[in-house]
Amino acid sequence: MRHVEQVMGTAVSIEASSEAWIADVVAWLHEVDARFSTYKDDSEVNRFQRREVDAASLSPDMRHVLDKCAELWKFTGGYFDAYAAGPLDPSGYVKGWSVEVASRRLVSAGSERHFINAGGDIRAVGGPWRVGVRHPWEADKLCWVLAVTDGAVATSGVYERGAHVWNPRLGAPATGLRSVTVTGPDLAVADAYATAALAMGEPGIAWLATLVADGYESAVVTDDARAFTSDGFPLAS
Amino acid sequence: MRRSTAAAVGTLTGAALIVGVRLSVSVPEAPVAAPPAPAANEQPASNGEAGAADKPSTKPTGKAPAEKKPAEDEGKFKNGTFKADAKYVYGTISLSLKVTGGKIASVQAGYPTANDSGTINPPAIEALKAATLEAQSADVDAVSGATLTSEAYLKGLQAALDKAAK
Repeated sequence: MRHVEQVMGTAVSIEASSEAWIADVVAWLHEVDARFSTYKDDSEVNRFQRREVDAASLSPDMRHVLDKCAELWKFTGGYFDAYAAGPLDPSGYVKGWSVEVASRRLVSAGSERHFINAGGDIRAVGGPWRVGVRHPWEADKLCWVLAVTDGAVATSGVYERGAHVWNPRLGAPATGLRSVTVTGPDLAVADAYATAALAMGEPGIAWLATLVADGYESAVVTDDARAFTSDGFPLAS
Repeated sequence: MRRSTAAAVGTLTGAALIVGVRLSVSVPEAPVAAPPAPAANEQPASNGEAGAADKPSTKPTGKAPAEKKPAEDEGKFKNGTFKADAKYVYGTISLSLKVTGGKIASVQAGYPTANDSGTINPPAIEALKAATLEAQSADVDAVSGATLTSEAYLKGLQAALDKAAK
């Protein structure tokens, strides 16, 4: 059965075979939103930002998110940056991570087949699921169709909010790439990689190619409509 | 020899301009400092990051500082392929310039070979393969895309799929 929940500033589509499981996912996502939303004044993120919480008393989830953001910042050479906008905003990690955790919880509960799509970032289990990648110019069209059995598909693109992805190194909006899709085992990581590559611009294509060794495949569309895919990008036949 | 080095330096400065890096080109054996390119040193890239040079731009304006040196032959540059590392604030990129007929035929820049984190530059530099981009409608379960807001979702394919789902 399908459920759509408005949470974390986006719509989350949940496909699972039991209402209880869906309810568990929904409750978890709201818990995450309460803790990590930068729009909620009393969220832990905002209290930490205001130094009302010291590092020692952070929640384990918050500690995890901060650690992972730091790790990804380092691994991406600074292109994935939870401080890109100034104050701490880990939502670029939190969305993928919360869905990844939700999916693992479902598996632990016994779900063998489900998917969760949070604003275009998908974690699927027990497919085969057919996952379309939105065409970067035509909102009602797809440009690729993937077959996903167990894994994540994350897409970052500039087509929804204009060229407002920040290149933290240039201190200017990122240019060069219009859409980056990354597939792999972990949605939080895939999402961060897609965001980092988009911020890099065209050099991100070569960078993405180096991630294949870790199980992260990718597809890219440039501003001038050239398209690239890694060899193992899981295209549906 | 000296002349060709100077030509290479001039050429490289030109390349760095093209690349759009906040540059300071260093070619250790060159006796002269990189010829002045004051504006360039200040200017952020106009076409993206350092490696935007993946896409070689081939519009050297002939105003390359190499002009200050006597021309070797017809063109302004010595024929051949010149390689150097251009250092910029976040790392070093390898530049390779090809000069034919005295003119810059191509400029290639690799991904930074060294930078602060030291982790971004695995040795294997291999671009993804070119693919076709064609719009297609298809029977899918879910749609991946940069749908950031609930409003965008409502206009998107996933919303339609969710409505259609049992």
